[in-house]
Amino acid sequence: MYPYLLFIGITTLMIGWIWGVLYAPEDFQQGNSYRIIFLHVPASIFAQTIYYFMSICALMHIVWRVKLAAYLIKSAAPIGAMITFIALFSGSIWGIPTWGTWWQWDARITSTLILFIMYLGILTLHGSFSNLEKADRLMSILVIVGVVNLPIIKKSVDWWSTLHQPASISTSGSSIDPSMLMPLLISIVGLGFTLISLGILSSRLYILNREKNKKWVLEHV
Amino acid sequence: MQLISAQNISYSINEKKLFHNLSFNVNTGEGLYIKGSNGSGKSTLLRIILGITLPSKGKIHFCNEDLAISYLGHKNAIKSYLSPIQNLELIFNQSGRALAFEWLHKLGLKNVQDELTGNLSFGQQKKLALIRVLASSPKMIVLDEPFVGLDYATNNLLNNFLEEKLREDMSIIFTSHIQPTFECKTLEIER
Amino acid sequence: MLRLIRTESFKLSRKLKSWLGPQLILVLVLIAFPLSIDISQYDLDKFYFSIIVISLMMTAFISTEGMFEEDFEDGSLEQEFLLEQDFYKIVLSKMLIYVFFIGIPIALIGSLFLITNGADFDDLPKVFSILCLSNILLFNLFSFGNALSINKGAMLGVLTSLPLALPVIILLGRAVRTIQYGEGFFSIIILMSGISLIVLAIMPIVISAALKTHID
Repeated sequence: MYPYLLFIGITTLMIGWIWGVLYAPEDFQQGNSYRIIFLHVPASIFAQTIYYFMSICALMHIVWRVKLAAYLIKSAAPIGAMITFIALFSGSIWGIPTWGTWWQWDARITSTLILFIMYLGILTLHGSFSNLEKADRLMSILVIVGVVNLPIIKKSVDWWSTLHQPASISTSGSSIDPSMLMPLLISIVGLGFTLISLGILSSRLYILNREKNKKWVLEHV
Repeated sequence: MQLISAQNISYSINEKKLFHNLSFNVNTGEGLYIKGSNGSGKSTLLRIILGITLPSKGKIHFCNEDLAISYLGHKNAIKSYLSPIQNLELIFNQSGRALAFEWLHKLGLKNVQDELTGNLSFGQQKKLALIRVLASSPKMIVLDEPFVGLDYATNNLLNNFLEEKLREDMSIIFTSHIQPTFECKTLEIER
Repeated sequence: MLRLIRTESFKLSRKLKSWLGPQLILVLVLIAFPLSIDISQYDLDKFYFSIIVISLMMTAFISTEGMFEEDFEDGSLEQEFLLEQDFYKIVLSKMLIYVFFIGIPIALIGSLFLITNGADFDDLPKVFSILCLSNILLFNLFSFGNALSINKGAMLGVLTSLPLALPVIILLGRAVRTIQYGEGFFSIIILMSGISLIVLAIMPIVISAALKTHID
């Protein structure tokens, strides 16, 4: 199924990007440099969404001992780390023309950086144990503690200092012009599908690898 | 009286089967000798019996919920930076200490009782760890390779001790590569 | 519980490196920092507190490093599990012992250094109480990291638990500012005490779950 999803995802993403980069109007303050939001905003949204998805899986793994949930965490974490890195990197590029600096000790940037490190920490923890079932459970514990910590980090760094512009899209309405909003939403959906298909692909590979001693895998391959 | 009954226990590690469908039960005053080649999962089976490790499949049933068990595994729970005496004081409360110190005498550790345990030989440390089992009076004893590293005299002493305890209606579960001198049930694990 | 506290304090008192080491390291780091800058040019008392915060965090980590590793490696944890069927009590008593024997002394060292580097002497009890509370938090969080990594070395423990400690650092920074400006101190100390109590109640449960996974 994932090849179709990947196709849909990439096509939608391309439509969103081409529309956003070539046809959407210029921003009256930021000029053309704002166009990076078509990468930055979707990436930032999924940077956190993936972590929340992982924490649901972690809860399932701890409470009901669902093995598949742990496999999903393990295969989602690298994707999460990648997308968080993209969010940080694109944010940096955007920062140069708008703020005049590529890094600011600002609340949301800092908490995203911490999120990135947390993804890598989860992967490192899982990679450190030879007994993979133990590694699964420890990883789930860490993910759950992390998801409790995520809003705390956010609140506390908010408290500490803030420079970032408020989020462009929120449930109470958006501060962005509809002509820019449309391609942005399309690229969010496109990136979403792309990530889901990547997730399916990576968990497929991981499950086959983990269950390689089982009969069904041998029959399947 | 039945103490433990295990039904169709399987255990696998990293999705690889270690043992499959083991069933057995242990009654009061009965010994269970678990036999098997290296890597067959003897120690793991002991840990499953103790409730430390959960089996992948199957159930283990304790007929008495708060069964007093003393256990000696590969890790001997001895602190190397304390003396044998201090180690025993950590393990036993006031009432149990006299008997524990008596065993210290019997096993010939009297002359090293104030040295640091880390400086003792492997066999001496093993003897010290054995006192945890010898000086307590549980309903069940679980031993993982108790005879390894012991000299001939201690080996005999341990054999006799276990035999005597069996007669006193204690249950003993142990793994070993050396056939014990007393009589007990044998459970052989095959891969 | 009383038995565990007695056992743990006896064990810790026999390990000079575990309880004296962190305190000496804290002193050394606090000495080392002024050596690395030109004191005649910078106003040290303005940012000496942040140095104390960071070195306290580091020391808290070092102090909890071997908290469970030794008991795990020599099999004491298994024996404890057979006795209690749970690790909550042993984790809680270890935590209390470590905070008492290491956390409070390093909080005292930190506040003394701060006083000798320009803070007001009257603020000593305030600074000390804040550092004590933050040590309870840091010890809990770092021992969680150490319980996860157990015998895989300190690096893994830092990597997993440092993100959790960052809010504590921010809170600590806030608390200091309230002392410097003389306002809002009580609300922040109540906040910190509340958080410490919650963490002290919940973290041992999480830590014992991690330990249970390890002996499994």
